[in-house]
Amino acid sequence: MKKLVLLFSLFLTGTLVACGGAQEWDSSSNITLYTRDTSSGTRAGFMSGIGFDEAAEDDSLLADGFVIKDNTGILTSMATDEYGIGYISLASLDNTVKGLQFDGVAPTIANVINNTYGLKRPFNYVTRSLDDFANDTERDITLAFIAFLQTTDGADIVTNEGAIPLSSSESWDDIKADYDICLQDNSAVTIKFGGSDSIEKIALALTAAFAPKCGNFVPEHDHTGSSDGFKRTQGSEKDGDNYKHVGFASRPFKDTEVGTEGTQGQLAWDAIVAIVHLNNEVTNVTPEDLKKIYRGDYATWEQLLS
Amino acid sequence: MDFIKKQFGKIKDLFHFNSKKEVVDFIIKLFFLISTIVSASFIVIIIVFITKEGIKPFVTDNGGIGSVNLVRFLTGTTWLEGTAFKSNLYSVGFIIINTLYISLLSLLIAMPIGVLTALFIAKIAPKRLSEILRTVIELLAAIPSIVYGLFGSGIILVFVYNLAKVFGVQSPGGNSVLATVLVLALMILPTITALSEVAIRSVEKDIEHGSLALGATKTQTNFKVVLTSAKSGIFSASILGIGRALGEATAVSLVAGNARSGPTLSFFQTTSTLTSTMLQGLKETTGIDYDIRFSVGIVLMVVILLTNAGLNFVKKRIGNVHVK
Repeated sequence: MKKLVLLFSLFLTGTLVACGGAQEWDSSSNITLYTRDTSSGTRAGFMSGIGFDEAAEDDSLLADGFVIKDNTGILTSMATDEYGIGYISLASLDNTVKGLQFDGVAPTIANVINNTYGLKRPFNYVTRSLDDFANDTERDITLAFIAFLQTTDGADIVTNEGAIPLSSSESWDDIKADYDICLQDNSAVTIKFGGSDSIEKIALALTAAFAPKCGNFVPEHDHTGSSDGFKRTQGSEKDGDNYKHVGFASRPFKDTEVGTEGTQGQLAWDAIVAIVHLNNEVTNVTPEDLKKIYRGDYATWEQLLS
Repeated sequence: MDFIKKQFGKIKDLFHFNSKKEVVDFIIKLFFLISTIVSASFIVIIIVFITKEGIKPFVTDNGGIGSVNLVRFLTGTTWLEGTAFKSNLYSVGFIIINTLYISLLSLLIAMPIGVLTALFIAKIAPKRLSEILRTVIELLAAIPSIVYGLFGSGIILVFVYNLAKVFGVQSPGGNSVLATVLVLALMILPTITALSEVAIRSVEKDIEHGSLALGATKTQTNFKVVLTSAKSGIFSASILGIGRALGEATAVSLVAGNARSGPTLSFFQTTSTLTSTMLQGLKETTGIDYDIRFSVGIVLMVVILLTNAGLNFVKKRIGNVHVK
């Protein structure tokens, strides 16, 4: 029995020693990569933000030995792994990890809204041309929805879904008097939403909240990608079977996607932040640095710091 | 009431029953038969559904991507080469090896501990203590796997990360073979303990008394007589344990690191199992990338069947001492 107790206490001390090993941060250590899996929208946003689009859906382009985790998994891992680097959506950043500056700009919501923080993408919307709706009811509901996006109610929904809304001051109750269409029963009207699939969750939440406020119109969602956002509202497919009333794009509209006056705008920012352990000496990265890290050109932290 | 009586009469005439009793008996039997058919048909429905979905990537051209090569799928060392949704170069060969390796290691840890615990509870501990311990083991067995996963990602990952540091190895945040094995060993421990305890308790007292009468000590008897007599039951316990280890998904995917190539034999590097690979991104993917997870499911079912058949074969070879 004595031997058993001795053995057990030895094991415990061993464990404690193992856990309490407070060593200096060693820059010659290898970098451990953390990434989301290939179906993640955050991964797509991050990879395009650092100029490594081709790795958004291709694991084999990443350096060997990466760890695949979800948003929370990466956050908690970075509190443990002193030599890891990962990325999470900015909304989930807390003080258990270090959020890296991107091109010298600190990752804060204020810096996203004033458009100085670079690792982000806009969530944009586009509607049909105002003279191109089948009837006035559909047009007015669409306009009311766009107005709803700019309210504090819309902003709350965007925040809940992990994105960063643009600043807004009025609530829906303040402006709903301008939208008589929402007073009547619209349950026979279907409004079609499409475009970026990264925005699908936000769009679903927005329409689910807005439909009851606007005569219970029926929102129909079919999100197939950013390029279909413009194409199916004002572009080549606007009169096809897949036409939409509102399209979304999780990137800036291209020069070829300029619609008629007053039909396009932004509803939110999707900001991503590269995170490391608090002990990590790195504080700032450039897009090129991150690309080199994820591609495996930098294997150790030394190489990045030198 | 009249209606029921009428129906009774009809059945009675139809099947030439002699009395009302026989009709009731017949109906009850029919009821049992129907429940059996319902429960048994689920296995058929599941197998048909999984096979139907899982075979798709191999026989169709997956919307222009091209069909998946079966040999490559079963022997390759990288989960997917090329861009997701645009490539058909899937393989699970290394994942099969990872899965078997991890399950075997966790069994190696859990079995000795489980069997010794069972021996203690069944033979050595005082009655009150053994009752308390038995409840504890039952509680452990009832803890859902996600809780083990959270425990693993909160405690075991940190432990493994620091342990690796002591050995001078840099582990990716503790996400590793070792962390997975420890979590799985914890999970299958109660199964093995509970079943081994039943096996040990059902060893006949006569055998034990005989051994004691021959002058063997209690400990000698426990190890050389009781355990050898119960070995068949203990082996069954291990079979169930390894079944749970092979099939566990949630907890594993939280601590394995989900490596996309391998196999991983090194303790401190990331790994992946068939189940964790199926789970990764399952809710957000479509097309071939979704269907292929069903193919992995077929592979998993085959692996489990083969493992069980193999272990049962070994169990028969070990032989059996007569137990109650």
